[in-house]
Amino acid sequence: MYSVGIQCIPLLLYAQTPKDTLNLKEFEVKSTYKSDINGFKRVKLDSTFLVNHLNEDLSKVLANYSTIYIKSYGSGSLASPSFRGTTAQHTQVEWNGINLNSPMLGQVDLSQIPVSQFDGLEILYGAAGISRASGAFGGVINLVTNPDWNNKINVLAAQSLGSFHTFTSNINVVAGTSSFQSHTKFNYSASENDFPYYNEYLTKMVTQHSASYAIFGISEELFFKVRDKHLVSVKFRYNQDDRDLPPTTNNFENDHYEKQSSKNLFAVADYKFVEKKYNVLVRTAFSNQEMHYALDSTINVVHQYYQVINKIRFTYLGIRNMLIKPGIDFTFDQVASDDYNGIKSRSTTSFYTELSNDIGGKVKTSLVIRADLINGSFLPIVPAIGIAYLPWKKCDLSFTLNLARNYRYPTLNDLFWAISGNPDLVPETNYSVELGYAFTHKSKNGKFLFELNMAGYYSWIYQMITWTSVIGNPSLWKPENIDEIRARGVETGLNFKWEVFNFRVSLDNNYNFCRSTYQKASSAYDEKIGKQLIYIPVNTLNSTFSIARWNFYLNYNFCYVSERFTAKDNLSVMPAYNLSNIIAGKNIHIKHFILSLQFDINNVFDLDYQSMPSRPMPGINAAFTVKLGFPGTNR
Amino acid sequence: MKKSSYFIHQPLVLYSLLAILILQTACSKDPIREEVITPPDTTKTVTYENGIFIVNEGNYNWGNASVTYLNNTNNTVVQDVFSKSNNRNLGDVAESMTIAGKLGYLLINNSNRIEVVSLKDFKSVSTISGLHSPRFLQVVDSTKAYATNMQNYISVIDLKTNSVSGTIKTTSWTENLIKYDKFMLVTSIGRFSEPSAVRKAQIFVIDTETDAIVDSIQSGKEPIGIVIDKKQKVWVLCSGGYDNFEAPSLMRINPELRVVEKVFTFTDPAQVPSRLCMNPTGDTIYYLKGGVYQMPVTSNTLPTQPLIKPEGRLFYGLNIHPGTGCIYVSDAKDYVQNGSAYQYNAAGSLIRQYVTGRIPGSFCFTANSTK
Repeated sequence: MYSVGIQCIPLLLYAQTPKDTLNLKEFEVKSTYKSDINGFKRVKLDSTFLVNHLNEDLSKVLANYSTIYIKSYGSGSLASPSFRGTTAQHTQVEWNGINLNSPMLGQVDLSQIPVSQFDGLEILYGAAGISRASGAFGGVINLVTNPDWNNKINVLAAQSLGSFHTFTSNINVVAGTSSFQSHTKFNYSASENDFPYYNEYLTKMVTQHSASYAIFGISEELFFKVRDKHLVSVKFRYNQDDRDLPPTTNNFENDHYEKQSSKNLFAVADYKFVEKKYNVLVRTAFSNQEMHYALDSTINVVHQYYQVINKIRFTYLGIRNMLIKPGIDFTFDQVASDDYNGIKSRSTTSFYTELSNDIGGKVKTSLVIRADLINGSFLPIVPAIGIAYLPWKKCDLSFTLNLARNYRYPTLNDLFWAISGNPDLVPETNYSVELGYAFTHKSKNGKFLFELNMAGYYSWIYQMITWTSVIGNPSLWKPENIDEIRARGVETGLNFKWEVFNFRVSLDNNYNFCRSTYQKASSAYDEKIGKQLIYIPVNTLNSTFSIARWNFYLNYNFCYVSERFTAKDNLSVMPAYNLSNIIAGKNIHIKHFILSLQFDINNVFDLDYQSMPSRPMPGINAAFTVKLGFPGTNR
Repeated sequence: MKKSSYFIHQPLVLYSLLAILILQTACSKDPIREEVITPPDTTKTVTYENGIFIVNEGNYNWGNASVTYLNNTNNTVVQDVFSKSNNRNLGDVAESMTIAGKLGYLLINNSNRIEVVSLKDFKSVSTISGLHSPRFLQVVDSTKAYATNMQNYISVIDLKTNSVSGTIKTTSWTENLIKYDKFMLVTSIGRFSEPSAVRKAQIFVIDTETDAIVDSIQSGKEPIGIVIDKKQKVWVLCSGGYDNFEAPSLMRINPELRVVEKVFTFTDPAQVPSRLCMNPTGDTIYYLKGGVYQMPVTSNTLPTQPLIKPEGRLFYGLNIHPGTGCIYVSDAKDYVQNGSAYQYNAAGSLIRQYVTGRIPGSFCFTANSTK
């Protein structure tokens, strides 16, 4: 496998005694700018980082530690991702190769994904996502679980108590041999979510009501290996959640009954056959998801969907400096919704080829081509081409360039929602170009690491689907291919890690500049041309300072989100805000066990803010977590 | 380092670093809430007694309803008059405004409130709660008014105490209402949670002396507008249902006999009429159907051409000035930006254009308004 650029090995630098393989590492290793497809951007957050956030959901981790902007309707409510100036529907979230985006809405609610349910997280920016799926103009967030074949047994139990009657429990059991590994994970989290806030409508302090939630999940993952040639894995995950959707600040005093619950089952089986010159991956996956929504006595609907995914990938390494990776994906979606007229389905066959080439170790190229056949008709080809240039062998510096064309097919809601659905929609089109560089410097003694990366992108979206009122019938809304968007921006990462007087210190910074504008007016009276898309901040910054010694660890996180417009003419805004969060903890080694005590303080300065209008957010809040680990022994 | 001092020092070092970090960050005390960018007012509006109010619905659940005021005295426009006078927002989805005496009644649909303001300074006089998604208010006499709700009942409002004094049970969504003799005629769409096929569409006849439904007249699906002409005939506009269950229709009702005398059926299913209005002389009907349509009450057919073409605008609100007969129509654009309002004369010539707030839906004219 080719790998461009950054082989950032802080793992070695901060490796603990073998006992710490439990993941109770006291230090964070994060944000490694990597690329497995030449010329495309990929960032990884690994388990050592995630273990301090076991009691949180994915939306919070991404908001605080990545350049992805999270649009949050308030604590415990819908949180949807947006990167590179695109919408949540242009972001695909995968769990071990299964698309978690609802085929109905085309997006995913990150507040429902507990961090404890995966070991690692990778973010594929922009066109890098084409290697996984078409339509993810912003990118792909991939949640992965991987076996450690050296592990014998590793048990972790964590209990967290937080403000506003929040309780989170996690149990992870990882056990196996050199040819078999089993991961069993359990998570439960419940909250009254009854935080106090200043209600600007009632002009008084109130306590949020009807906002409670409970999330439960269990997963079993089995990995088998036969002579390093046959790799088999079977993964199951079941989760369910029940939520009261809270009132807005403006209807706080009403009898408010709005509930949402869901039950989701995922199953995926992989078989990989590995030869010296080639390998084959065969995957089959199934998901069954059910969502129930009720509002007062007026709406009471059930949506149910099934997804079947079959996938074959063939990788050929027989030609020197060359990798050829053809494949076929087949996806079948079926939706039975109270809001559709009858059962609707969609079958997608995706033909895929990836070619990578290494020219003299200095120039690496890749070409990804995808062609989707949806319900029997071909979409135009989705191509992406990437080039990486590594000028010096001794210096970890790389320049990347990629160009791509991409399409996003309408969601099933867009097509089939009763009365409103528009079967005449055409796919959205995206053209993008990205230029980046990454530099890593590590001191010879391995005690200092410096990492700098930057990526600039320019992207056009044509025929973007927007729900709009029908002229002559203002009460009817329909999706139409009306918008044209231009998004451009720069993402910068600047990270330091060093070890001095036995202190381990790190400073990680992500800064994101994004201008995403409307390019087409719907009429001569429309004032939106050249204006920033609503709910997309121009500037976001997050910085994390970590320090550890004597088995203590301390982590200070700062996030800044600039103003977000709430009007397409940009004449109303949600003002900018910045939040600070602190995590402090200590690991105590007691014989074969590690006891970890952790204290989190969120919104340290008790900022009274809203991310979305009329959706209250909590002020200062805290959580206390006790983790008990039995790392067992490694082989 | 000795063991004892080690234990004292280790937390100190770490937490003093933390303290430094905390001191470095400034602390903001103002709540961070949505802000509207409006040009500063160049003139000070002293009173709101001679002009026109444009009620901007705002987006559902965004809490950004507002009122725009067109001052007839000096031809100025003031945005967001409620927030400016009361230092709080108006609420979520402002449906309509009705004036009774020197007070304005603003029906805030999703906040389930009626905000009562003084026309002198637009300061809140009272906030009426106990409603169920209020829609429109019609004055019965100087002491009483009826307010329609999307569910359960019609609310009887005591105008002396500005509170709900009673309810008239309907179990249905009641929409528009008009006074005829001692009766109030109220359009009833049917139960909110039911589809059009099941919903029972009718006009309730309410005796205002007893607050009781004394009769009902069956109508087309989703009767949304009701007006009365100079010959005391009642006109009802029916949209046909949110799901285009049937063709929209305009009905003429004889309120004395409580019978439907005439039905005009709209033929183009893609265009749904709304916002039925009557001119001050009671001889011409207006409604929206993409453009603004005008129809003499004596006509035997529906008009085929609009008086005012939309030309890309999304006409959303319509009202006729009760004094001058001028046509006021609003453009909600794409619902996610400031709208516009246009003033035309009765012949359809543009007189003036105004910027409004988000989703301008209805107009309310003060008694002295001269434009």
